[in-house]
Order: sequence, then C-alpha cells, then structure tokens
Amino acid sequence: MLGLRKRIWTPRPVKSSYDAVIIGGGLHGLATAYFLARDHGITNVAVIEKRFIGFGGSGRNTAIVRANQRTQENLPLYKEALDLWPVLTRELDFNLMFHNCGNLNLAHGEAALKAMRLQVSSARFLGIDSRLLDPKECKDLVPALDISQRPRYPITGGMYHPPGGIVRHDAVVWGLAKGCSRRGVHIHQGTEVTGIGFERGKVAWVDTDRGKIRTPRVLNAAGGYSAGIASRLMGLRLPISVLTIQAMVTQPLKPLLHHVISSGAYHCYANQTLKGEIVTGAHMDPWPNFTTQTTAAYIKHQAEFVTEFLPCLKGAKFMRIWGGLADMTPDMAPIIDGHVPAEGCFIDCGWGYFGFKSSTVTGRYMARYMATGECPEILEPFALKRFQEHRLMGETAALVDYSANN
Amino acid sequence: MAFTITCPICGPRSGYEFRYGGEDKGPRPDPAQMTPEAWCDYVHMTDSRPGVQKEWWYHRAGCGTWFTIYRDTTTNLEVAPDSPETVA
Repeated sequence: MLGLRKRIWTPRPVKSSYDAVIIGGGLHGLATAYFLARDHGITNVAVIEKRFIGFGGSGRNTAIVRANQRTQENLPLYKEALDLWPVLTRELDFNLMFHNCGNLNLAHGEAALKAMRLQVSSARFLGIDSRLLDPKECKDLVPALDISQRPRYPITGGMYHPPGGIVRHDAVVWGLAKGCSRRGVHIHQGTEVTGIGFERGKVAWVDTDRGKIRTPRVLNAAGGYSAGIASRLMGLRLPISVLTIQAMVTQPLKPLLHHVISSGAYHCYANQTLKGEIVTGAHMDPWPNFTTQTTAAYIKHQAEFVTEFLPCLKGAKFMRIWGGLADMTPDMAPIIDGHVPAEGCFIDCGWGYFGFKSSTVTGRYMARYMATGECPEILEPFALKRFQEHRLMGETAALVDYSANN
Repeated sequence: MAFTITCPICGPRSGYEFRYGGEDKGPRPDPAQMTPEAWCDYVHMTDSRPGVQKEWWYHRAGCGTWFTIYRDTTTNLEVAPDSPETVA
C-alpha cells in the first residue's frame, strides 16, 4: 500500500544553472524557495541540502510558536508568522497541525514580572494578545501547576499569550517541500556546497560535490552551519556562536497540560503533544560545539526542574532525548542581510532557538529581497552592520546568552 | 558528557569548571590604527567552523588562569597544539 502512494515531492537531476541557489534544506531555505516561486515567479531555484530536508534545527526544535518577544523590531515578524500558519495549511493542502493552545510564561520574582510587564505592553502596543496573570489565574489555566511556596522559586505570576502554540515541525518541512516541488523548485538532498565563486564583485557560481552550478543569487540559510559557510566560503565573518541545545520527551500521559508552559528561572519549558508525551527543553552547552550530543546531567536537571512547578510529573519516564544546533548572536536577534560581501549574496542566519517560529514569514520577505534586490522594511533592523554601529537589539534581557559575549 | 579541559596549572579537569572565553583572535588591534571594521571584527566576529579551533578558557572554579587550547568542536576533544589539525 505504502509503495503505491504518491511522493509528496520529486527529486530532479542537478542542472548547471539556476536563477537562485539556496544553501540549506531547512525551513528557512524551503520557505524562501516556496515564496520565490509563489510570489515572484522565480521557479528555477535549487535548494541544496547536505543531509536531508529537515535534518537540522527544522526537525529538532520543540515546535513552539509565539509572538511575545521583547523588541518592536522582532515582534511584527513573529506576529505575521503566527498569522501565516492557517494560511499555509490551506495553501499547501497539508495539515501543519497548528494548535494555538496559548503560551504561559511563568514569573518567579518581582524582576521577572517587571520584564513581563514590558513584554506584555510591547506586544499589546503592536496588536498582539498578551496578558499578565497572577498566580491564581495561572493555576486556573493550568491546574497541575504548583503555586504554593514549596518550590525553591515560587510562582509570582505569569505572562499568557493565547495566540501562540504548537505547529508540527516535520509537517511544515514536508508541506513546504511539496509546495516547492509543485512549483518547479529543485530540492537536492545529499549535496554539499564546497565553494562559492565570484565574478566582477558578484556571485557567479556555487561548487557542489555534484558539480558546478551557475547562479546570480545565493542564500545562506544553513542554520547551525551558516556561520561556518559564511566564513569559509563567503569570506564573511559573523558574530555567531554555535551551541548544542537539548530537549526530551516523556512517556505518553493522560491529558494534563493544555498550554505551552515556560519558566525563565528554571530555564525550561514543557508542553503536551497530541500523543500525550510531555516535550520539555532546553539546556544549552555553555561552550560552542557541533556535537548534538545529549548529556546525562541534563536529564537529571530537567527532571528536577520541570517537577518543581509541575509536581504531578514526578515518576514519569523520559523516553527520548535529542540535541540540535543553535546559532546564537550577541543580541539574540537574527542576521538577515543581502549583497554582503558581494552582490547576489544573501544571509538568513543567527536565529538561535527562534528559527522555527519565524521560518515561513522570513522566507516570504527574504524571497522578496532576493527577487527585487531591495530590502523589505521589516528586515532592515536585522542587517549585519548593526554590530559595527553598536545598534544591538534588546532581545537579550529576558534570556540567557551562553556565548563568550556575556 | 565527559568533557575535560587541560588547565596549564591544574591539569585535566571537568569542563564545567571552566568558562569559555571565545575564539582566539590574535592580539588586540592597535588603537592608533583602529577602524570601526577592525574593532567590530575583533569584538564580535567569529569563524564558527566545525572542526579544530584555537580558543580561550578561564578556570573559573579553579585557579583562575586564562589560557588557550585547541579543541575539535565536532567532538569536544582537545587536540595537541603540535598536531597537523591545528594549522588553519
């Protein structure tokens, strides 16, 4: 039966030239290719993936989507991303399993509440639903929460963001691959980019282990490997540290968690999948590495911390643990730029652990950037030159930066 | 993960005793000839390549020494300074 089913996308032979070459068959790359074809009629596009599509961060993230970040530059992008999931589900004719169950971010002190007040105000100013809750209201929302004074860091309130939730990440990869393939985009798996060639100050070709491809446009959207590709092949150094980040799931349990819960003080988050597993993350190694290795110390840490505010999970067994790469910038905001270091070179990287929730909308604007050569206004704040001009973004205050920069 | 770092004073110790101090970027640029590009490059920019890199570490929970080692970022293993892999 299975063999008779139609493939959702079709592999094609590698051509010797394309109108655009995208390095990285993850969500950012596939989304950009999809929107290049859909909105700009550029269908002669190749997505080059070293392993297979969705092998990196696209398939390793914990599938949480939200738009309650901190800065006015970031928020509009994430808001549009949230609005795009139902549209894409329809358009791709592929169930992305968007479940806008809402996110509850716990505060464990006055300082955290203060930061949340700022975040809530910023979100509401931009028309995004976000509310501040007291501990009792948190408990009403999530009865399993322990709001007593027993935990080391008792819950003092929460930030509730109803439009956020969960999207099935693999489905987005497959859906976009399907959309790309139907519109004529070529996806080349198992193909490694080994060089980028320039002629007269412009991008001219890409060398791969399956031959040379001539192209006037190259997008580096290789996730954790994008900074290495930029420095090695584009001659462009980026302010990125690549860290291994881990997450895990428990055995399936009866429904007990109907929202995404996160806690800054315990540095973990949890949500329950439709299968009943509790997905929880996320620890980062405090030194750059590309290992994606998981650690016993983290399993213990996670069990200890998640049961502090969800004590009913005590005794639940972890079934799987995995690691992925997070490319962190000093200000926790991505680097999206074009025509650096040469005309036709585009970069979309440094997403850290925000790459999933932003992927589709960034792809849409990046496609416009690549098609017209003009940077869309919404992407302008993310240009690389902000580091030289000391205009780093304030996204970092609410979060932890493990790179050498803090 | 069994991750050890060799401190020049204390010898091989658990990696969690140390704080990562960034890629080795050579000497600090000369202030007299400083350009915004050079300073930005020195402060922020990295190579972030998978493979062997020379990097700074600080023995935070130990003797307090700052030192450099070579480490393969794809395996988290230290590499001897005189091995052929350390040549960039």
